[in-house]
Amino acid sequence: MKTRSLLYVIMLATIVLASCAPAATAPAACTSDPAGCAKIPAGQTIRIGMGAPMTGDNAQFGIDISQGAKIAVTDAGNLQGWKFELVTQDDGGTGEGGAAVANKLVADPTVVAIEGHIFSGATAAAIPIYEKAMIPMLSPSATNPDLTKPDPKTGVVNKVFNRIPFTDAQQGKFAAQYLASKLNVKKLAILHDGQAYGKGLAEVVQSTFSSLGTVTSFDAITPAESDYTAVLSKVAANKPDAIFYGGYVAEAVVLVNELKQTGLTNTIFFGDDGTFGADFITRTGANGEGAYATALIAPSSPAKDKFDAAYLAAYGKPAGTLSPYTWNAYDAAAALISVVKAVAIKGDDGSLYVPRTAMVNGVRRLSNYQGISGVFTCDANGECNSSGPVFFMVQNGKWVEAPK
Amino acid sequence: MVGQPTNHEKSPCMSVSKNITLQSTLNAGRVIRVVLGVLVSAYLTWRLIDVIVIERTYGPDTWLKFAISGLILGGLYALIAIGYTLVYGILSMINFAHGEVMMLGCFGGYFVFEALNAIPAPSATDPKLNFLNAPPVLSVILAFLVGMSVSALAGYFLEKIAYRPLRIAPRLIPLISAIGSSIFLQNAGEVMFGPQRRSYTNPVLFSRGAGWTIDVAGNPVVITYTGVLTFILSIILMIGLYTLVQRTKLGRSMRAVAHDKRTAALMGIDVNDVISKTFIISGALAGAAGVMFGIHLGIVYYYVGFLPGIKAFTAAVFGGIGNIPGAMVGGLLLGSIESLGPAALNIDFQLKDVIAFAILILVLLFRPSGLLGQVLSEEKV
Repeated sequence: MKTRSLLYVIMLATIVLASCAPAATAPAACTSDPAGCAKIPAGQTIRIGMGAPMTGDNAQFGIDISQGAKIAVTDAGNLQGWKFELVTQDDGGTGEGGAAVANKLVADPTVVAIEGHIFSGATAAAIPIYEKAMIPMLSPSATNPDLTKPDPKTGVVNKVFNRIPFTDAQQGKFAAQYLASKLNVKKLAILHDGQAYGKGLAEVVQSTFSSLGTVTSFDAITPAESDYTAVLSKVAANKPDAIFYGGYVAEAVVLVNELKQTGLTNTIFFGDDGTFGADFITRTGANGEGAYATALIAPSSPAKDKFDAAYLAAYGKPAGTLSPYTWNAYDAAAALISVVKAVAIKGDDGSLYVPRTAMVNGVRRLSNYQGISGVFTCDANGECNSSGPVFFMVQNGKWVEAPK
Repeated sequence: MVGQPTNHEKSPCMSVSKNITLQSTLNAGRVIRVVLGVLVSAYLTWRLIDVIVIERTYGPDTWLKFAISGLILGGLYALIAIGYTLVYGILSMINFAHGEVMMLGCFGGYFVFEALNAIPAPSATDPKLNFLNAPPVLSVILAFLVGMSVSALAGYFLEKIAYRPLRIAPRLIPLISAIGSSIFLQNAGEVMFGPQRRSYTNPVLFSRGAGWTIDVAGNPVVITYTGVLTFILSIILMIGLYTLVQRTKLGRSMRAVAHDKRTAALMGIDVNDVISKTFIISGALAGAAGVMFGIHLGIVYYYVGFLPGIKAFTAAVFGGIGNIPGAMVGGLLLGSIESLGPAALNIDFQLKDVIAFAILILVLLFRPSGLLGQVLSEEKV
């Protein structure tokens, strides 16, 4: 009996002593941070995640943006010995893909921030997942206005999502005004692909244009089909001056190629930032002449020239040809990296600690950040827009800036 | 159908009431179906009258355009549907990989056009001419031959590898094998050809969108060359197939095997050979449909066979699975309903698939064997 109770006392003492180990290795900022810290051990990289469509019809966007971001990562150098790394995951641009990628990235403890996602549908699905894990997002291209609006159930705006590009509310408004005033369009037919981005944009154009002219028809097409002649025939019955299409390049190409045979020969095709890019021109050829789309153009500066040269040298194509967001891609990555550099703390145990709430707040409070695409300041809802939409048209097989 | 009543009855009296309850349940069901049918037909007719006569939403030129789109697409669905019907008639299984067979034929034609496009054949008048355009008709014929051969071979090997070993297995197993083959071929296509969509390079004579412009009620309607080619070729192939099945020895063997495999074998028909030949023929038709798809609509990628495959299967069931004229009629009708339906009923074009499938369900409610199908005998079922 006595030996057994002695054994118990010794075991208890060992446990108590063991728990009073040398002082906790995490810095004080981590214990006070409600969401904890990302811990990056020595020898590993600080990861910035990205969810983008890397394969399939819209791969040009994912490829272009990840390439622009990679240049920023290289330019960032290292932070007290830790290098940065861009981790790109293919989300296909869809909601299901976005959620799957978000879950994957959240499970990686060395991911400190997300550049993305790239498509609005995927972003909408991913935001709740990142909000729970308190990982900040800075998207170079997700333009749907609802992403920064309050949650209809809670009435509160999410804390983690921020974006640099203009919203579709602006794009739609400017597009409708451009159509009415610069292109003298009186009758506009609107088509969209039924998805978050395309439909949202089409609805904005519809509401703005209704006061400037007549909207002859508002129709949805089913994505991934090859024959839209029936819908186009219906649109042609009302003889519109122009067609506005909200959606991505895969369907836009099919529509443009079928305009002539459905009687819409002289109708202007007005796309959006999802239909811009080299792919549109290659797949429409002569049929695409005179089509419009939205893009961003970064103002000329030494920083832009340096980036353009680096992009061309690394990837063989000029920046801004595959998608409109190459400069935004660089800026988003560079901005995220600057916030990491500001809040990261090197712990006593040789690991790097990045407090998550500090990261989220740091990105949301970006102010007067000098990017290539402009100067941006994020507001309380996460809108950091640096520049407005610029319209481009296809002329002689190239995208050129449309007359202002 | 007054068999052993297996469902519970509430009447205290026993066997007589059981039969009466079952019969009255069936009658009630029939009455409900008839009432539903009358209501839906009345609604559809009213909408049709509204759109065509009262409001005149669309002029005759637009209706013609809808009809043209529908017939061309319908012809393509019909060709693929024949493939489904042939295989079902012979083997009583649905060849779900048939859409992918069409995809392979589509790629076959694509590569032929690309190869011919790269061969220069300068002539006296045009130094930049290439082999594609020098004899354009020959190029198209070559594309069809290659496309149809590729698909025929694909069909033959599909049967040999995925279906023949499972000939004696229960009916569900070859079905699963078919679905598996479909997924396998899709992904193999993605790995071999890449995920991006490619465009068919048509000979200039048959460029997409070009055609005759006719004047209908003051508005121009374009009848494209490729559309006419597709439709006429579909009809020719359908007539050819029907003649093959009805008039030739092989056709007679096919019909015999479809009717009763064992007796056909007893009569000296090589059943395996006939089945292989059926798959080759259905594959060739799908390949032709694939090349036409590429020439007329211009898009080819690994997933291009999925949607037409499903629609064609629906068309085959619509017309009566196992019935060849049924597949033709089903295909043409389905294509027409898809194009004309939303306009005729003044419904959003986004719902065209909903309309097509709703009509399918309605038809099957009243004629479960399809439009032209005969009630299947006990053995088949």
